[in-house]
Amino acid sequence: MPIGLKLYPELCHGCGNCVIACPVNSANSPEIAGGKGPTDDVEVIMIVEDGEITMRNSGLCGKCGTCAESCPVDAIRLEELE
Amino acid sequence: METTELIEGKDISVERTGEEERKLEFKDALCASCGLCEKICPVSAIEVTPAGAMVRTEQDVSKIDIDENKCVLCGMCSCICPFEALDLKIGGESIKDMEEYPSLLKSAKISEDTCIYCKACETACPQDAITIARQLPERAKLVSGEIEIDKETCVDCGICEEMCPADAITLEHKFPSSDDPTVSSDIIVDKDKCVYCLVCKKACPVDAIKAVCRICSYGDYDINPEDSEIVGSSYIDDELCVNCGWCQEICPVDAAEVTKPFEGTLTLNQDLCQGCETCVMACPCNVLSFPQSTEPGKKPEKLHKDEKYCIYCGACQKACPVGAIDVERTKINSTPVRSKSWQKAFDSVKTK
Repeated sequence: MPIGLKLYPELCHGCGNCVIACPVNSANSPEIAGGKGPTDDVEVIMIVEDGEITMRNSGLCGKCGTCAESCPVDAIRLEELE
Repeated sequence: METTELIEGKDISVERTGEEERKLEFKDALCASCGLCEKICPVSAIEVTPAGAMVRTEQDVSKIDIDENKCVLCGMCSCICPFEALDLKIGGESIKDMEEYPSLLKSAKISEDTCIYCKACETACPQDAITIARQLPERAKLVSGEIEIDKETCVDCGICEEMCPADAITLEHKFPSSDDPTVSSDIIVDKDKCVYCLVCKKACPVDAIKAVCRICSYGDYDINPEDSEIVGSSYIDDELCVNCGWCQEICPVDAAEVTKPFEGTLTLNQDLCQGCETCVMACPCNVLSFPQSTEPGKKPEKLHKDEKYCIYCGACQKACPVGAIDVERTKINSTPVRSKSWQKAFDSVKTK
């Protein structure tokens, strides 16, 4: 079973740590690296929408685990996918 | 002929019985998730779990997954693994010990004749593979002098006891009684501990201590040079050793010698790097680090490398989520490769 990114929106506090910490997100968008939300034309892995973590493009994920490490409530994890 | 896979904890073994018994063993603790086995496997039977997931998060799975239905037990993975994590045994014997198979030329040695047992390598080794055992000389044999406390003059203030850097002076403190109105029943100097530094003599408020350092007055003629010799031994755990060369580079007397399995280049793209630290955590050789700024306003390079320690295993490249690292292997140091297909396989891990 491959390991991949899994979201638990029911746990999410919407802090956005993962969105900013993610190196793929920040490489794609200087706005994100600076701690802001991305512009609409930027491809991101995950984003906080209406206070909840939402997957945008899991295919971009390099599985480094930086987001999981930055999440204070374990709402984003690298796990075996079904 | 049947191939079976056995998983014990995170260790895996794939076994095939038949005319000859072949068994591939994987030791999870030694694996650095570099991906070389995955790269060389001719039947794509191996999948390496992302290094970031392994070093950053807790996972129940092994660092690699071997598909026993695909594995042909050829042993290429075992021969290319620079970490002793994979081993193919034919009839109970490791192919790394067989002349017919190429094995990586890698070693780390510490010369007992040269080693001064300073333990720098033990501290620097990123895999804790080195143990330095040393026996220090007796301190009392390296000093020479005399010390005496005049107990009549001594007022039991305890200043010498408090100041002695070698904890050589002890006062037997007590509460005074009417029949013995003193605050200490005795003062003792442990001559095995005393180094004749004369701090007590200088500090004593009533000049009760007579002490002299003979070495200061006459030189160390009465010290036997043999008594100052440090004896010890060094040990490198070959299974844990990754041949990174830290011991060789940090050794102040050039006692350590390391042969590395691969040669190549390591290129970092500072612009692409986002500083996530996954490579730093994944590198088994402590090659990469984040430099601290030396003064306000001074921006150091984002990610620092020192290729002296690199074995070009490619773990960092595999771990980087943004493709900021490029590892190129230009040479594999191995015993002769005798078959064309094996040569081709070895060559395949040389290019990116």
